Parts: sequence; structure tokens; C-alpha cells
Amino acid sequence: MSEIEFEIDGKLVFANQGDSIISIADREGIDVPRFCYHKKLSVAANCRMCLVDVEGVPKAQPACSTPVANGMKIHTRNDKAKSAQKAVMEFLLINHPLDCPICDQGGECELQDVAMEYGTDVSKFNLGKRIVADKGIGALIQTDMTRCIHCTRCVRFGAEVAGIVEMGGTGRGEGVKIEPFLTEGIQSELSGNMIDVCPVGALTSKPFRYEARTWQMNAVETIARHDLVGSNIYTQTYRGRVKRVVARDNELVNETWISDRDRFSYEGLNHESRALHPKIKKNNKWQETSWEIALDFAISGLKKNAQNADQLGVLASKNSTLEEYYLMQKLARGFGSENIDYRLDKANLSIGNTMLSNITLAEMESTDHALIVNSYLRLEQPMINHRIRKATLNGASVNTINNKKFDFNYQTDLEILSSPQKTLLMLQSILKSLHERTKTTVPKYLSKITVDDSQNKIADDLIAAERPVIILGEHVNSNISSSDIASIISEIAALANAKIANLSLNGNSLSAEKVGFKPSNNGKNAISMFTENTKAFLLMDVDFNYDFIDPKLAADTFNNDDVFVISLNSFEDEITLMNSDVILPLAGFYESSGTHINFDGVAQSFSASVKGPGDSKPGWKIIKVLADILELKGFEYTDSTQVADDALSMSSANNNDLVENNIKETDDSKVAVHWQYSPYAIDGITRKAKALQETPIGKMNDAFISLATAKELKLSEGDLYHGVPVSINETVAEGCVFVHTYQSRKG
Amino acid sequence: MISDQAKKEIDFWVTKYPEGRQSSAVMQALTIVQNENGGSLTGELMQEVADHLQMPTISVQEVATFYENYNHKPVGKNIIRFCHNISCMLNGSDELISYLEEKLEVKTGEVSKDGLVSVKKVECLGACVGGPMCQIGDQYHEHLTPSKLDNILDNLK
Ligand code: SF4
Ligand code: FES
Ligand code: FES
Repeated sequence: MSEIEFEIDGKLVFANQGDSIISIADREGIDVPRFCYHKKLSVAANCRMCLVDVEGVPKAQPACSTPVANGMKIHTRNDKAKSAQKAVMEFLLINHPLDCPICDQGGECELQDVAMEYGTDVSKFNLGKRIVADKGIGALIQTDMTRCIHCTRCVRFGAEVAGIVEMGGTGRGEGVKIEPFLTEGIQSELSGNMIDVCPVGALTSKPFRYEARTWQMNAVETIARHDLVGSNIYTQTYRGRVKRVVARDNELVNETWISDRDRFSYEGLNHESRALHPKIKKNNKWQETSWEIALDFAISGLKKNAQNADQLGVLASKNSTLEEYYLMQKLARGFGSENIDYRLDKANLSIGNTMLSNITLAEMESTDHALIVNSYLRLEQPMINHRIRKATLNGASVNTINNKKFDFNYQTDLEILSSPQKTLLMLQSILKSLHERTKTTVPKYLSKITVDDSQNKIADDLIAAERPVIILGEHVNSNISSSDIASIISEIAALANAKIANLSLNGNSLSAEKVGFKPSNNGKNAISMFTENTKAFLLMDVDFNYDFIDPKLAADTFNNDDVFVISLNSFEDEITLMNSDVILPLAGFYESSGTHINFDGVAQSFSASVKGPGDSKPGWKIIKVLADILELKGFEYTDSTQVADDALSMSSANNNDLVENNIKETDDSKVAVHWQYSPYAIDGITRKAKALQETPIGKMNDAFISLATAKELKLSEGDLYHGVPVSINETVAEGCVFVHTYQSRKG
Repeated sequence: MISDQAKKEIDFWVTKYPEGRQSSAVMQALTIVQNENGGSLTGELMQEVADHLQMPTISVQEVATFYENYNHKPVGKNIIRFCHNISCMLNGSDELISYLEEKLEVKTGEVSKDGLVSVKKVECLGACVGGPMCQIGDQYHEHLTPSKLDNILDNLK
């Protein structure tokens, strides 16, 4: 790339061949008005707002689509440029309704801003304005298409970033309308970004409609912690409530985008089932009480039931903060219990170690081959999937090994169906094939394994690639052979020189891992706690209905009268009330300061955006006080940042030793079930976010079974499988039921 | 439903484009499908075209709504495409369209009761020199007057 020298508004600047005038103007802090240009989207050059004067060229030129050239002299604000810009502005306003006072975009509208500077106060146009009827595009995005200026940013976003072409421009000339084909609602898991890219009030947030004016709100920089990315966001608050969430740029983490889950989950904070006051259960009756009484009640119950420290079990969800995990495990260990776990949805906990990832988000984007195992990546880790999608646009290929075929927003090459029972075997075959191909000795335990063509192809593709990555997703968690699978994947990666992305973790799991929020030595894990005589539980943000891999096993224990359960929870729904003895109201997302450790291992700290409602308190404070009452040492914190410092200085006990002593014969005589939550049912707050639940993704509710397996289970289309309608489907592996739903796990 | 015959015809057009560019055949596909459906398109048909050509449905709709030759409401056996652009307008196309509407008891965009004709206003058909003009089927009719129109209508079957 050669350096180019040119002048812009009298200033001498340098650029590379192919740079557009507007990108250099932006870099130099020179303001060129624009609507259709967006730094992350292709150049459409259809709004003409960015016209500038290039010396020697008779007509004003669009700065977004004109590349710079040596010796160019550009004027962005001389008379010629200004009159061109003003003329375009006048045209754009002809059909615009100018209804800023009732428009949610008012105050943050690019059209409003540019019109202030380039518009005139009188319009020469005195005929009727164009009106577009809104047909409604779903629960998340409010349309007011009369305000649309046809910049096509939303259309390009769909085609280029979301990878699902949903919006389009129909009609012609004055009759052009931006709309989707069907009205059943936008499907993309990234759709909310269209709100951000729309320069006017045509696309605005539906849950936020008429909630507040933009200038009334405070914007707080924070982190979304629904997934491993930890997208950077702003919460916008008004009168102590989070009113809206928008994306915050961070090129290394989420670029400019966020998932709909990160954007709209805040609605759950205002759910009517929020736990507002401490509550204790006496003689089977709930009563509201003060923090003091509730804490004393909790501790005395705990002491009474767990006279032996080993009778205490401590469980947490995947979504707590680093600080909460750290203090909670410190409390448990200080009390003398090693029974600590956050891996509530894993079927096999016999191996304590977790496979480590060794690739960064940014590196994912430059991979040239990905093997996705056990993951519907697009819905589970939308922003990581976006990186892979970008890689595919640059020519990367993708193979998958899954229980079911999924709808990725990029081309997949080989899609292998493999039921949970057969997945280990499948990977062993691939490993064997790799050994054969790399002429390394085939280990003895693989001697009887057979290899077929497709497995050879998977191996070949891994070897042929220069920067391959193997992605292990969360469907592996329900697999009894999960640690064997992880260990085989590690071996495959080592042989093929591939990186590993372990996406079977989620939320803030990496913080839990960091502080060792799982049993070491002889501690009981999230399964054995229920089978081995645990009498008191301390639960943090645990949902009794949704979180456990074996809900019946958990319920049997919690329902037991002589088991004492302390729930730190943001919600008090029926099941929490039924199973707990004390409810300590916990501040939710954005209501507490904390830290999230993301996929790259970066600890991103955030402060509270708002105060928790009612008497609810941040988790770290509650745990600290519990520890104080228990007279444990080392809890002299006054600020959550001190906790974070301690937590981050811990050295992780984890290593990559995943091998179970004996590789088990997999039992494939039984039908396996994988119960996968819809992406909007993965944590408490999201599940209670109303608008998300009304989207096609939120409404997912199918038990996919192949015809043969359905016959075996005596099920037919439309029957209910544990309450989920059966869908006979040939894209699902034989011998398994793939349940994809918002309903809680059963059976 | 698109018939197998129509699909075959579409596939013939697909072969005219390089591999992987099957969506380039969308205009021919829409024409074939529209003819088969008696002159107009429906949402389902556009959906089917999209599926057949493996392209986003909205992209089919974009094409189908951009060009005047696709109809989205049922049409008569004969479509009178009346030019109402500048040259024709200056030569009286507006009056002639009103005349037509009155005579046929239809509004532009509608089908006459007997199902024989529908009237559509279209943009310049490139026959300005003969304006006011209209197109019926493949035939241009130029220098129109009310009596010429009467004549033409009488001969429509
Ligand atoms: S809806 Fe918004 S983003 Fe989409 S074309 Fe219209 S103005 Fe542009
Ligand atoms: S920003 Fe350049 S034409 Fe729209
Ligand atoms: S204006 Fe009517 S044919 Fe050109």
C-alpha cells in the first residue's frame, strides 16, 4: 500500500491507496455529514449527504465513495460543498415527517443533527408527503417507516453482518419502501443493531418506546455478562431504572455490535417477581423481615443443619460476578466445606479440570478452518459466531459435528450428524485418522476404532488448514462422556496444530473457574451434593426449575424438610419460595459492581448502573456480612474493587489434564436427550425479559426426533415430549432427542 | 405452487449464468411463474421462486416490485399499459385514461367485470414520438384518440 499525500480543508494529510475521503476526514476530526456511510458496512453512496468539493472536478463528489488520490485538494465546507450538502438536505426533508417531538430518536438523531446545520427553516415543497404504513416487524424493533430516508444501512447490516437478508427495498422511485418480506418478525439474533445503525427514528427500540427522552438519561459504561464475550455496552438509566441498553465500541471484544440478548435482557430487571425484601420461612409460612433478622435466621439454620461442615453445599449460577464467586467460595472454604460448584448443567463432573481455550476473539476472525463440535454457535455465542462468519467471508471453511443440523449464517461444508452417545466414538475415529495421516503411532485404545470417509475428510481439512480452530460447544455438557470428549479434542488439536475454543462454558464461567468455584480434593460436586447427605445449601442466583441437569434429583433434596436452603436470589417465583427457607434479595445485572472475565481472559470490571430495587443488595455485600456473622477471617472489604484485586491475584488450580482413568464404553442402546435452552432462556434475567420471549427465537419450542427414533419412543408429530411438542425431523441424529425450548428441563 | 414444467423452464435460464449465480435468473423465473398464474404473482409464489433459486425472499420481492411488468394483484386477460409520462401526458394521456376508466367502468389497477381487461399506468415506454400511447400484449398502439381506443377495445378478446 502506497502512501498518498493530499489536502483536506487546507490541511496536508496522508492516506493509503483506496482510502475514502470520508474515512480520512473522520480520522482527522473533520466533520462530513452522512447518512448511508457506516464504517462497518459496505459503501452504498445513495444518500448523497456527504458531497464535498474536489478541486478540478466539476461536480461535488460523495466523500464516502470517492477514493483519495495524490495531490487532491478537498474542501468540505467551501461554498460549493455547502450548497451541495444543503440541496441534498432539502431533498431528504421533503418526505420526512419532521415529527421529532414524538419521535424516540429525537435528541440522538443523525437527521436532526445534520438538519440543524444544513437544513433551512422553510421548505419549498408544498405537496403531500409520502406516508408508509407500518406492518410491524416483531417485538424488538418499532418501525415508523414514514421517517425512513432509504439509506439502506439496515438492509446492508442484514446482508453483511447478520448474514440473514431480512430487510429490503421494495418498489421504485418515490414508492420505495424498506421492509421485510414477511411480517412474522425479524429472525436474526443480532437484529437490534439495526436500531443503532438507523440514522433516523424509523427503527427504534420497541420495549423502550416512549419510556424516556434520550437527554434525560444517564449513560453508564458497563459489561453484558450473558455470554463469554462480555460485550461492552452502555446502560441508559432514568430515575433509578435501566431504560435501555446500547452497544459501546470495543474493537477487541464486540466491535460495534451486540446481540439482542445483551440489548434487551434488562427488561427482566423490572419483572414483577423481583425479590424486594428479605424473607424467612417459619412454620411453613413466609414472612417479610429485616436484613438483620433474615441473616441471623439464615446463619442459625445453616449452623444447625450443617454441624459438620461437610454438610454444607454451595451452588451458584454461571452469571455471578467474579467478586461474588470469590467471596462465596472463600466463605464455604472458611466454613470448612469443599462442596462448591457452579457447573449445575453438566452431566459428568468427575473431572475437575476444564479444557482451556488458546485462541483470542480477534484470532478467531483470521482462522481459515473451523470444526464446530456440539454447538449451535449462532444462537449460543452470537458475537463469537460473528467472528467465524467474518472468517468464512474471507474464505474459511467450516465443518460441524452436531446432534442436529443447524441454521448457521454462513456456508458450512461437511455437517456430520452424531448423537451424544456416538460423539466420543466419532472423535476417536477422527483422532485415529489424524494419527494415520501424520504417520504418528496410533495409541492402543484406538486400535479397534474404524474410520470412514467423512471422518477422514474432517482430519484432512484440519491438516490442510494453516490456522484451524476446534470449537467445542455447550451441548457437550449433557454428555456423560464430556471430559473424554474434551480430552480427545485436545489430542486432535495437538496433532492437527489447531487452536481450541472451549465454548461449553458460558456467562461468567471463566470467573468461577478463575477463583476455583468447584470442589477440590474430596469436595462434593453439583451432583454428589444431592446424593450424599447435604443438609444445608447456600445458593446464589440459582433457578430451581432451569439450572440443574437432573432437576428431579435436585428437587427431591430441596423438598426435603430437614434440608435448609438459603437463596440469594433476584427473583422469588413460586419454585424459589417452595424450595427455600430464607430469601436474601440479590441485586441483579447492572445493579451491582463487579467483574466479568471474557473469552480472551480479560477481566472487565464495571460499576453499578442503578441501585437494586427494594431492599436488595449486591451479592458481594451479602456474602461479606454472612461471613462476618460466621466470624470468618479475611472478609474486611469495604469496596468491591478490593475483592476483585484479591480474586484476580489467585493463581488458577486448573490444568489441562482431562483424561479419565478409563475410557468408558459408550452405551448407545438408550435414546439420549439433549435439552437445549433457547438463547433467551439461559439465565434468570433473560428469561424474564418479555420482548425477547415474543421473538421467533424466544418462542422456540420443539423436541426434534428422527422418524426411526420417534417410532422407538412411540411418539408422533405434535405429541408432547415432557411438555414440548415433538417435531419429526430428519436433520437430527438417530438415537437422540434434541429439545430446543424456552421451557425448563424435565426428565 | 409452481409446476414442474415451470421449474424446468426456470432451470433452463439458470444454465445461462455461471455456477452459483442462479439468482440471476430471477426475472425470467418471475415471468414464467407469473404467466403460469394467469398474469400475477403472490407472496407464496415469490417465496417458492426464492427457495428454488436459493436466494432471500425479500430479494425476490425487491425485483418483483421494482419492475412494472410484474403484477401483484389479479389482472384481466389483456393488460392495457398506458404511458403517463411527460410526452404522452402533454398529448392528453390523462384524458384518455379517464375515458378508458369510464368506458370500462374500472379504475387503473383494477380488472373489468368481464375479466377481459385491466388498465395500468406505466412509465415511458420509449415511444414518445407516438404519444399518447399504450401497450397491449406485445403491441404498441400510438397516436391514440378516443375513437381509436374504441376500436382497439372492440377487437380485444
Ligand atoms: S429504516 Fe433506517 S436504516 Fe433502514 S433504510 Fe430507513 S433510514 Fe436507513
Ligand atoms: S454518506 Fe456518502 S452518499 Fe451517503
Ligand atoms: S412519455 Fe410516453 S412513451 Fe415516453
